[in-house]
Amino acid sequence: MENPAKNCKVWAVAGGKGGTGKSFITSSAGTCLALKGSKTILLDADLGGANLHSFFGLNRPRYSLSDFFDKKIPLQDIIVHSGIANLGLITGSIGSLDSEGINFAQKQKLFRHIRALDAEHILIDLGGGTHINTLDTFLLADKMIVVTVPEVTALENMYHFIKSVYFRKMKFIFKTYNLSATIQDTWKNRASCNVRNLKELIAHLRESSDHIREIFDREMSGFVVHIVLNQVRTTKDILVGENLKSVCMNFLGLPVAYSGYCRQDEAVHDNINSKEPFLIFNRTSPVVKEIKTLTENIIAGTHLSMRKDLANGSLPEIL
Amino acid sequence: MEAYLKYYDLLELPPEATIEEIHRNYAGLKALYSVNSMEIRALNMDYSEELHQDYLFRLDDAYEQLKLLLENKRPIVATKAAAVDDGLKEWINGINCFTGGALRNIRERMGVDLKDIFAVSRIQPQYLEDIENEHFSSFRAEVYLRSYLVEYTRFLSLDTQRVLSDYLPRYRIAKECQFLPSRQSRFLV
Ligand SMILES: Nc1ncnc2c1ncn2[C@@H]1O[C@H](COP(=O)(O)OP(=O)(O)OP(=O)(O)O)[C@@H](O)[C@H]1O
Ligand SMILES: [Mg+2]
Repeated sequence: MENPAKNCKVWAVAGGKGGTGKSFITSSAGTCLALKGSKTILLDADLGGANLHSFFGLNRPRYSLSDFFDKKIPLQDIIVHSGIANLGLITGSIGSLDSEGINFAQKQKLFRHIRALDAEHILIDLGGGTHINTLDTFLLADKMIVVTVPEVTALENMYHFIKSVYFRKMKFIFKTYNLSATIQDTWKNRASCNVRNLKELIAHLRESSDHIREIFDREMSGFVVHIVLNQVRTTKDILVGENLKSVCMNFLGLPVAYSGYCRQDEAVHDNINSKEPFLIFNRTSPVVKEIKTLTENIIAGTHLSMRKDLANGSLPEIL
Repeated sequence: MEAYLKYYDLLELPPEATIEEIHRNYAGLKALYSVNSMEIRALNMDYSEELHQDYLFRLDDAYEQLKLLLENKRPIVATKAAAVDDGLKEWINGINCFTGGALRNIRERMGVDLKDIFAVSRIQPQYLEDIENEHFSSFRAEVYLRSYLVEYTRFLSLDTQRVLSDYLPRYRIAKECQFLPSRQSRFLV
């Protein structure tokens, strides 16, 4: 559901598990957009562990989100330069121990101000976890991106995150149509309606009336979560994204898009530690091309089709 | 036809997929769901043996049905293409805008009846007429319209991609206008 009249696109990056590379993907996709000439702003909303600035070698940015919330400084004025042309950065509140510090009302306010910013793309790093606050912010974005890695524990968290996002979205829709009681009652009496999980809940609600089915078709069409698979180590790992798409559809009943992957590359953390923005200083790494591809897929709403490449023998070699 | 759409969906392919793509995706999916892979293990509580078996059954069925469909239908489409003479071809090549009316014109000049298309595609003539009248509200979702158009253009041996890229944007615009109020509600949550 993108609004074509608006020229700014808000991206939200989340994913359940910590350390999968959300901040890395946010910062490098943002760098990629900026290098292509799009005015881009990164916003670090990972309140517990704001560290997006470190990816640009910045130590202690002059301003942070707390200046916006506490001192009411306009959002436009707390953007710091990332060191890359066209790329601005709004940092999180570093060192704040109160990670539940801003509530959803404040986040909605933040979103209104975000959409008024002068930029083509605004990328928000939401950090880990499945806190309701994170889910709600995620749902406000035009491009919803989940970063995961090919590891069973990360996939577990990712499935949980995606299910929670869809469930939240459904609740919002039902609320808009004054049907909140319907969804609550069905879930409460799930044993008697033979509903054991989200997939069956959706099927049950869809079949309960034409009206509800139409609402689903209308509101959920085009609603899709983009998956980015990070720290891929083998050629076979690349297919995991494609498999996730299939499993999400068949077991959870939820459509997701596989937008791209990025391989594990030592250069990534070498560059972070040596305070060099990754993409600019390592143009030869295949990672750069992979970031470009996933960024383009997210913009265009297209996805990878690795089965085709596998059949053609054109899957990229890793290791 | 709706049944065939489901088969394509199951194989994660668009309705214009080739038989090679069908073989390929079937093999890939069969491999994924035949072993206890990480992607499936991570489901935990959402996994059920029953759902799994049901999926494998439907996948096999979809594969068999699509194989039958594609193996039987090709020759019929081919004979239709042969019936188009050069003058007609040139005239069609000059058409830039494939409105419903233009499609009807082409069909009538080819001497094809809607019943002929129905006989091969099993798409009800009512829907075919709706395509020609651009009666968009008859199509609940783009996938249905799209797959009907694919069948329609295949039968007439038209350039499917050209027709789709001209025709579908009008459907999308009509749908967007219809749903405008609900779009805004998304930001009021
Ligand atoms: N593709 C990659 N190749 C090599 N190292 C990577 C890659 N992606 C991320 N890393 C490393 O993994 C670490 C974690 O990445 P990052 O901080 O982006 O994760 P995160 O998901 O934002 O974590 P958190 O949940 O704590 O916010 C980083 O130190 C980075 O060096
Ligand atoms: Mg992070």
